[in-house]
Amino acid sequence: MRVGIPHFGNVYIPVKSMARKLGAPEGYIIIPPPITQRTLELGVKYSPQEACLPYKITLGSLIETCEMGADTLIQARGTGICRLGYYAKDQEQTLQDLGFNAHFLTLDVSHHKVISIIRLIQDMSNNTPWREIIPAFFFSIGKLFALDKIEKVVHKVRAVELEKGTASRIYREAINAIDEATKSKEVKGLTKKYIDNLNRVPKDTTTKPLKVGIVGEIYVVIEPFANMDIEIELGKLGIEVERTMTLSRWIKYSLFLNYLGVDEWREVHKLASPYVDHDIGGDGWESVGEKVLYARNGFDGVIHLAPFTCMPEIVAQNIMPSTREDIPVLTVICDEQQSKQGMLTRLEAFTDLISFRRRKREYGRRV
Amino acid sequence: MVTVGIPRALLYYQYYPMWKAFFEKLGTEVVVSPPTNKSILNSGVTRGVQDTCLPVKVFFGHVIALIDKCDLIFVPAVTSLGNKNYNCSKLIGLPNMARALIPESPPFLAPEIDCEKGRYNFYRNIYAVGRYFTSNPFKLKRAVEEGWVSNLDYRNKMSDEKITPLQAIDGKLSTNVGPSSFTVAVIAHPYIIYDEYVSHQLISRLQKMEVKVVTAEMVPQEELDVATRRVVGVPHWLFESEIIGAGEYYLETRVDGIIIVAAFGCGPDSMMLSVVEHRARESEIPLLPLSVDEHSSEGGLLTRLEAFLDMVKRRKRVCV
Repeated sequence: MRVGIPHFGNVYIPVKSMARKLGAPEGYIIIPPPITQRTLELGVKYSPQEACLPYKITLGSLIETCEMGADTLIQARGTGICRLGYYAKDQEQTLQDLGFNAHFLTLDVSHHKVISIIRLIQDMSNNTPWREIIPAFFFSIGKLFALDKIEKVVHKVRAVELEKGTASRIYREAINAIDEATKSKEVKGLTKKYIDNLNRVPKDTTTKPLKVGIVGEIYVVIEPFANMDIEIELGKLGIEVERTMTLSRWIKYSLFLNYLGVDEWREVHKLASPYVDHDIGGDGWESVGEKVLYARNGFDGVIHLAPFTCMPEIVAQNIMPSTREDIPVLTVICDEQQSKQGMLTRLEAFTDLISFRRRKREYGRRV
Repeated sequence: MVTVGIPRALLYYQYYPMWKAFFEKLGTEVVVSPPTNKSILNSGVTRGVQDTCLPVKVFFGHVIALIDKCDLIFVPAVTSLGNKNYNCSKLIGLPNMARALIPESPPFLAPEIDCEKGRYNFYRNIYAVGRYFTSNPFKLKRAVEEGWVSNLDYRNKMSDEKITPLQAIDGKLSTNVGPSSFTVAVIAHPYIIYDEYVSHQLISRLQKMEVKVVTAEMVPQEELDVATRRVVGVPHWLFESEIIGAGEYYLETRVDGIIIVAAFGCGPDSMMLSVVEHRARESEIPLLPLSVDEHSSEGGLLTRLEAFLDMVKRRKRVCV
């Protein structure tokens, strides 16, 4: 059995480390090459025309793993959410048509998440005892937590660093170093080291950077290829980015704390309730609520990322302008046709708009 | 007397007789918006963001057309009808979107129908609707029963007499007369093909061309469910049987051709129709995919329809 996974942010790091920790043979877990234009082209070629971008990218990524010899693939499924529940069914069919004989192991991301992930590990680990699996699992997700912790600092540094690109370089180094780490102590040390490095980067301390919040569909928010490195580009424009949606947060709450009755979105849902009072699938409810939250917290703007034809985000996009909280929202629709230049032009215009608004607020007039 | 407005769009084609019986039993007057026309479409299109799909934009147009004609507008958020499958997000968030985009409209009667949340939630939502008209729970219960009976009657009528919802609701005479040489199945959501403006009168055009048209409504629900389960196992969408089930059913009965109609940007259809296309390729039955949006032209549709029918005709002659 050779297991392949599609790319989704840094998800490959814990998967890889888990396999290493449990002593899986070389080539048991197949990590596809990083997402490139070729991945996207493969995905677009074999997808239904109007499928959404996450479908196309994950399909392209899975085709690449199959080319490397994977015969078992992991994909998410679920009910009560958007098209995501249909991915595995359709992609399995497509891969069979292409002549790859791969079967799917699915991970339920809507109900019974823990049971589903335990089953998945059981299927893959070939009767490894639980006393070995559990520490390996916690060690591996610890890496995700460390990376998200570093990324939070990166967002802050990017906006004010004097030499643009330093923070991104350090973050890349951090990803590689943490990927290689084999002990939890090592991960902790590396996290501290890189956060210190980031804090020592020479910064422009005279200006207070503009702050925007990023909301939207989870795949395009987290996967940098899908949103064309929008966070880096915003950093270059001197904007501090904040996003609540991270993989570690999803794991922390969906796999553990939700079962104890802690709902991480309670506040956001409450803020959204005058406009959307029940779940509309996907991340639409959260997008509306987070817009309100960012407006209340004094942010300068919100960037709303959505794949083309994404149903929950279209509902959110329709509702957002009518909320009482007044904050500029730029909706960036991500699909295979989008060009980076077009996005940059819009980001620059948006930056101008929010900086005018800030000056107006501070000086009471347009300067 | 209170007047309740029902927009002639989306779920109207499936549940109108039920809603009508329910509201009339509660002693209200029911007003339906006029059939879709250019001004309704245009007023709806200007409201929503451009990526919203055509049927939802048409729905907004119908809500706007009902302003000043009624005291309440019925916009249910049909989330789930059990069996762990859910509706499209746009239909779940329909009252929320309509409220945000059409602030000048009369208040909405917007119950959330979600059978996954249990019986109590369902009853409470129905009661919240009934409270507008009556405080007597027994009267409400009778109205619900009445509604359910007319829903069953409506469904049975369509599958027994092989008629479309338009014929069943309006009592129009069937135009399916004359000797029809071959059968074509039209697979799409009811709100696309039965909206004569949106679909450019696809069905009546086909009937005029002496084609026998069959649709999902003409098959009993149980058989659709069986067919769906055979292809995809557990359905993921609420309306999966009306697309995949109907497609599979008609492929099995060997119709002469299949026409699938999708609204541009429809999320569920983008996945489901590829399954139907795949099955049609396997069983070697010709299939014509059509896509409608606010820019689709009648001429383009007609040309493709004629070419497709010619192909089906020739194929049949060769086979015989």
